[in-house]
Amino acid sequence: MKLAISSTGKDLNSLVDSRFGRCPYLLVVDTETKDWQAADNVSAQSARGAGVGTAQKVIDLGCSAVVSGNMGPNACRVLQSAGIKIYTGAFGITVAQALKDYNEGRLTELKDVPPGRGCGLGGRWGRGRGRGR
Amino acid sequence: MQLISVTGGKGGVGKSTVSILLANKLVREGKKVVLCDLDVECPNDHLLLGVSLGDVGRFVYAQFPKLNRKKCAKCGLCVSKCPSHAVFQPSTARDAGQKKSADYPVFMPELCSSCGLCWHICPQGAIEIEKKKTGEVFFNKLRTPNSKLEAADLWLITGRSVGVLEESGPVVTAAREFAQDFARQKDADYLLMDTAVGMHCGVIRALLDVDYAYVVTEPTPLGAHDLALILRLLKKLGVSARIVLNQSNLGRRDWVDKIARDFGVKIDWEIPFSQDLVEAYSQGRLGRVDLFNNHD
Repeated sequence: MKLAISSTGKDLNSLVDSRFGRCPYLLVVDTETKDWQAADNVSAQSARGAGVGTAQKVIDLGCSAVVSGNMGPNACRVLQSAGIKIYTGAFGITVAQALKDYNEGRLTELKDVPPGRGCGLGGRWGRGRGRGR
Repeated sequence: MQLISVTGGKGGVGKSTVSILLANKLVREGKKVVLCDLDVECPNDHLLLGVSLGDVGRFVYAQFPKLNRKKCAKCGLCVSKCPSHAVFQPSTARDAGQKKSADYPVFMPELCSSCGLCWHICPQGAIEIEKKKTGEVFFNKLRTPNSKLEAADLWLITGRSVGVLEESGPVVTAAREFAQDFARQKDADYLLMDTAVGMHCGVIRALLDVDYAYVVTEPTPLGAHDLALILRLLKKLGVSARIVLNQSNLGRRDWVDKIARDFGVKIDWEIPFSQDLVEAYSQGRLGRVDLFNNHD
């Protein structure tokens, strides 16, 4: 089975990127053979819909499960419709550690679509509507 | 007719307040004014004027993709090309042959920007076009007290997006066109357009081809920073700018002064902080405020 982990770098010692849609790389690990490879995630640069693009990439790579820190509702919907399992809560740890946590069943499986927005700035580009003080 | 935009880059600097104060001033001078609220995602000029939105003058529609399953070959071209990532395929021909055959693409209208790429590139012609309502344009006629006349007429045109599209630019353009047609028909002297916050598509559409733009800012570091951004945008659009410094007696104005000098733009109007103004704002009677006291 293939497992995708959102990563800040190209190898197992990189930190897990806690923002699924905006991760620069996806590390794809074969859980039987322990082989792994890094895939570029071009969707990380999208103005919007990064989560959906990244989720589509996971589908295209033929993965059956995803490990990340956090995930927005759109990405979740795409992965769940493809029957891909989602494990979240991997914060501040390396990919190797996340893999170990996954193998030992320490990560929580996300079963419902979370409310609200994802990790990106969304359509407003992060410019607030503040009171101005 | 003069076409003037009121913008600012930063949020909360007083764009709507300045728009209404400006309208008040012109109306008191006996001018015919049409005020157009183009902050379509959150229009509030009517609240500051203490009125409810009036009749709907126009509905705004946009085109969205609708899949014809009989024609779709599940090739995934729309999925890979969509710039908004508004379409996905739960199982694809590309996914290393691990699963069953490919699924039909699924469109997510809340991410769609209605660009039309998918139906233009689909090799099967399987993507049909569906029209959906994305906005409304409202119309209010207001009576405002005037020193010279018994009551002067001020018209308020409000664009409001209904939230189908993430990008509200088309609603801005429709509201603006409606306001321009209306102002011409009424032979108005001024059309004032109150823009949204920021520098995105919806703001740009409210700044194109205007006679000049008032740029509202405040004496804070962020106010100065966003002032520089919006002045750069206006320069690119070829629109001349006039700065309005709101709450001018608070904070530190040297940042704003420096940006104004750097861009060679004059600070046209300074509005000191005033408790009366804040109260009028929060009680919806901004339409009655006359900062210029040019009557009696």
